[in-house]
Amino acid sequence: MQQADYILCECALAPLEAFVRELEPQCTVQVIRHPAVVITMIRAEDSVEGQPFYLGEALVTECELNVDGQAGFGLCLGDEPVRSYCIAFMDALLLLADGRLPWVQAFLEEQEALIADRLQTEHAHIQRTKVDFKLMEEE
Amino acid sequence: MGYVAVKGGDDAIAHARVLVEFYRLREQTPPITIQQMRTQMRLAVDKVMGEGGLYAPEYAAIALKQSEGEVFEAAFILRAFITTLQRRYYSEAIDTREMFVRRKISASFREIPGGQVLGPTRDYTQRLLDTALTEETEETIGRFLAELEGHIDPQQLAAVTTYDKVIDLLRREGLLKPVENEEDTTLKDITREAIKFPAPRSARLQMMARAETGGLMALGYSSLRGFGNTHPTVCELRYGTVPVRVKDPSGRIRYIGKIEVTEAEMITSTTCTSKKKVLPFYTIGYGLCFGQNDTKAICMGILDRAMRSPDGRSPATDQEFVLYHTEGIEAMGFVNHLKLPHYVTFQASLSNVRAALRRAGAASLETVSETV
Repeated sequence: MQQADYILCECALAPLEAFVRELEPQCTVQVIRHPAVVITMIRAEDSVEGQPFYLGEALVTECELNVDGQAGFGLCLGDEPVRSYCIAFMDALLLLADGRLPWVQAFLEEQEALIADRLQTEHAHIQRTKVDFKLMEEE
Repeated sequence: MGYVAVKGGDDAIAHARVLVEFYRLREQTPPITIQQMRTQMRLAVDKVMGEGGLYAPEYAAIALKQSEGEVFEAAFILRAFITTLQRRYYSEAIDTREMFVRRKISASFREIPGGQVLGPTRDYTQRLLDTALTEETEETIGRFLAELEGHIDPQQLAAVTTYDKVIDLLRREGLLKPVENEEDTTLKDITREAIKFPAPRSARLQMMARAETGGLMALGYSSLRGFGNTHPTVCELRYGTVPVRVKDPSGRIRYIGKIEVTEAEMITSTTCTSKKKVLPFYTIGYGLCFGQNDTKAICMGILDRAMRSPDGRSPATDQEFVLYHTEGIEAMGFVNHLKLPHYVTFQASLSNVRAALRRAGAASLETVSETV
């Protein structure tokens, strides 16, 4: 299974929110830092010489929760208060690694498959534009 | 001519702003949704993000709507917006070798790793006005998408992969010019520290990454046309998405999403002196920007290369000329300041000119008016 953060950032928001709402009543949730938009500076490197430089900034939403005594941090690109909250919640559950872990893992595996399917379909469309130009002398 | 402050006009300024909205809305057409702007004005949104220096597609779409499609103004709004937020994170360096590639081409090599993939592009097509767009409906869009899906067999989907870069092939063969040590490689942030010339390469790349596409194109083109020596070829041009990772407050590296970028590696030949021998090599100019913007990435690559070989004659090789004049927000601001009241200073100038002309006499006045 790929990294949980990847799945939580890339999956559709509706099933993620529904899953978190379902688990929330079983937990004691304390909001340490409400979802808030902040800025991240994106660092890049020239691909030849490895020269580092700043490409530009990106809007990010961050959230911090305490779930059953475990801190969880949620971070994602964009103005995404609900997603950042859900990521923080899932982060805490993954770190707790208690009896709810199998549910969490099942959810992540299900979403991972959906993301992979979406990407593979897009990839298939892109591959239809693959080209092999012939040199004029070859014709 | 200097400034003299004016005051007043608050009501007129407020009414002028309302009048802008009146002209935007008076035909009572259905409001354009932000989602529509974001998806159907995709390339304009990319430009606004790139020139605003903020990756935030939704906010760039809002700015574009707010500015009635004026990209300069929208980018200005985003730049202003950034200043209202706290910068809490610095990402790990993004790696374009991890790119989910939507487009990758090389004009230098016919066969490249993974093959040439045109991706979403209007290259090679005729630019005919598509009047059928006036008839576009949700039904026609649905039919288009269904037909497209019909070309894909969901049971035969290939795994997504990443690709080696063309430059890696050149590097393995020892064809790339060895990295020079004399250049300043420190990492500067031009949003925190005013640029000084000569600027380190990091500052030049950062400024060009948020420069105005048209400005970069004009100067890049000038180099190609002979006002400079840089006339490279596209070694590789890529567009796609790359993962962004940051260190969270607990110190863990976290994936936070992906951003769309266009990357250009522009190849040109050069020489290098080694052990009293002059050897031919290839060297690369590098371009990277937010969103899909081939022109910007290519011209950034041309100018990156050109500025590393200053010749004292060509604008494209002059750091200050390139970086100050491609900075769209500052350029727009300075040009537009000419509309602000200069009454007092101009009146002073006018008095001087009138007095001088009076002193010169009526005969000279006629001559002057003919030459103005």
